[in-house]
Amino acid sequence: MSTTTIAPNRQGNAAGRYVRDTLLLTARSLRSIPRVPERLLDVTIQPIVFILLFLYVFGSAIHVTGISYKDYLFPGIIGQSLAFGIIGAGVATSNDMTEGVIDRFRSMPVSRLSIITSQVMGQFCEALLGMVIVIVFGLILGWNPQLTFAHGVELLALMTLGVFAFTWMGVLLGMLVRSPDAMQGVGFIVIFPLAFMAGTFVPIAGMDLVPRTIAHWDPIAALVATVRELTEGVHSSGSWQLDHPAVAMMLWCGVILAVCVPLALRRFNHTLAS
Amino acid sequence: MINSSAASIEAEGLTKRFGKFTAVQNLDLHVDTGTVVSLLGPNGAGKTTMVRMLATLLRPDAGRARIAGHDVVSEADRVRQVISLTGQFAALDKNLTAVENLRLMARLRGHRRSSTRTIVEELIGRFDIEEFRDRLVKNLSGGQRRRVDLAAGLIDRPHLLVLDEPTTGLDPRSRQVVWSTIRELVAEGVTLLLTTQYLEEADALANRVVLIDHGREIAAGTPAQLKAQVGEQRVDVVAADGAALQRLADVLAEHFTTTVTREQRTVSVPAPGDAADLARVAETVRDSGIAVDEIALRRPTLDDAFLALTGHTTGADAEDPEAIDPQRIDPEAAPPESLRAEGVAQ
Repeated sequence: MSTTTIAPNRQGNAAGRYVRDTLLLTARSLRSIPRVPERLLDVTIQPIVFILLFLYVFGSAIHVTGISYKDYLFPGIIGQSLAFGIIGAGVATSNDMTEGVIDRFRSMPVSRLSIITSQVMGQFCEALLGMVIVIVFGLILGWNPQLTFAHGVELLALMTLGVFAFTWMGVLLGMLVRSPDAMQGVGFIVIFPLAFMAGTFVPIAGMDLVPRTIAHWDPIAALVATVRELTEGVHSSGSWQLDHPAVAMMLWCGVILAVCVPLALRRFNHTLAS
Repeated sequence: MINSSAASIEAEGLTKRFGKFTAVQNLDLHVDTGTVVSLLGPNGAGKTTMVRMLATLLRPDAGRARIAGHDVVSEADRVRQVISLTGQFAALDKNLTAVENLRLMARLRGHRRSSTRTIVEELIGRFDIEEFRDRLVKNLSGGQRRRVDLAAGLIDRPHLLVLDEPTTGLDPRSRQVVWSTIRELVAEGVTLLLTTQYLEEADALANRVVLIDHGREIAAGTPAQLKAQVGEQRVDVVAADGAALQRLADVLAEHFTTTVTREQRTVSVPAPGDAADLARVAETVRDSGIAVDEIALRRPTLDDAFLALTGHTTGADAEDPEAIDPQRIDPEAAPPESLRAEGVAQ
C-alpha cells in the first residue's frame, strides 16, 4: 500500500500537538452546528417562547416601578438563556461522548486534553451564537438597551466569561449523567427553577421568603442583575451579590471554572477510560 | 519504534471487572505478526472489553499486555501510534461527510494538508467511496459506513489492525464486500485481531480462533481444528406435518444416516459434500412425493460450537437471534438499542 511511503509529520512538542489537535477537533464541532440545526434550536427556542409568553401574555399583569416591562424582561431572558445553555451543552456532550468516534480519537495518538477542550469550544461557540440570536430577537421586538460604549464592552466581556463558565459546567454534567434524557431531567429540576427565581421575570424583593433567600445567592441572579444594571441602569439590591452584581458574577464564574474544569478533565481521563 | 521481532499482541492474565461483574477473566492472547486471530463469542462474552483494553481505552484490573512490544498501560501513547481500532459501531463523525471524516483522521494522525489529500484520495479509490464521498455519514447505509470506517483505520498502515465485529448488522452482500476487503489487507500482511459472533466469519478470515464465553477462553485453535470438534454441516429437511415426518424419516433412512428432531419436524442428514449432498437429499425427497416445507444446507453455528465444546448453548437465542444465524439479519437494520447498550457496558 503506497500510503506507507508518506510519513506523518509528528514533530513538535506536546503543547504544539495539543493546540493543533484542539483546533482540528474544534473545527469538527463547529461544522456540525449548521448540520444539526435542532441543537441550536434547543438553546434558542425556549428563551424565545418565554419572551413571547411574558411580553404578551403575563406581562400585562406584572408592574415593575420605574421601568417598562419590556425593558425589565430582556435582561432576565438573557440570563435565562445563558442558564439554559448549561442544559444544551450537557445534552450535546452526553450525546457526543457515547459516539464511537470519541473512542477512535482516544485510540489514536491524539492529545486527550484536546478532545475535551474542543468539546467545550464547540459548545461555547454554539451557546454564544444562541445568545446572539436571542438578543437580536429582543431588539426586533423593541428592546431598547441604554448602553454606553464602555458598558457595551464590559457586558460583552462578562457575557463571554459567563457562557464559558456555564459551558464547562454543562460539559461536566453531560459527562456525569448517563443519558441525554437524564441531562434534560437535571435541567428541569435544578436549572429551570434557579433560572426562574433569579429575578428573571419578576422582582426578587416581592418573592416569598424561601425563593427570595435562594435568589439572593443564585448565580443566575447575579448575572441578570449585571445585565440589567449595564443595559438599563437599574440597580438591584437585597444581598451583597445583588449590590455588586458584576463582581459577584466574576466570582461565581471563577468558582464554577475552578470546580468544573478539573472535575471534567478527571472524569474524561479516568471514568470514561476505565 | 516497532520492534519487529516482537509478537503483535502478547497478553497475559488480562482481567477486567465492572463492579461485581467480571467481563474478562484471566485471558491470555498471543498474536504473531502477520497473522489473523479471531475472538469468537456471543454477545456479552467479553470480546469488546478485551479489545478496548488492548486499544488503551480501558485499564486492565489485572494482567498485562504488550502491543508490538509496548505496554498498553505504561506506554499507551506508543501503542496508539501502532494500532488502528475500528469499533463495533462505526467510529465516524456522523455529521461530517465521508471525505471530511477521512481528512480529519489523517490530519489528527499528523499529516499536512498536501499529504492528507494524497492519502484520502487513494483511500477513496481503494474502498470505492467516490460515489458517496460528499454525503454525510449519518445518511450512509451500514455497508457504506463500514467502508469509510475501514478506510479511516488504514490511514497510516497500522502495525496492528483491530476490528470489533466488523460485519454485525450488515446485510449478506455488504458482509461479503467487507470480507473481501479484509482478505486483501491480510494478503498485504496486515496483522489483524478480529472479533465476531459468527463462526462462519472466523472460519472465512482467521488463521486462529479463540472461543470465549463469560470472559474466559473455552477453546483455541485453527478454524479446522475447531470445526472438527464441532461437527460437519448437514442438510435439514422440514416435513409439512407430523404424518409426513414419519414417512420422510423412513425414506431418508434408506439412503442416509439420519437424525430426527420431532419438535421441529426435521430430519437431518450429514452433508460433508456441500451442494452434492444437498442435491442427493432433495432428489430422494422429490422422488418420494412427500410434502416438505424446507430443505436447507445448514452450517455449524456458534451455538453448535458451544454445545459441542461446553455441553451448553450460548443462551443467546432468546434475545439475540442474529447471533445464531447471520442470514436472518434485516439488511438495513441498525444494531438494536439493546446491543448498543451492551456494547458499551461490556
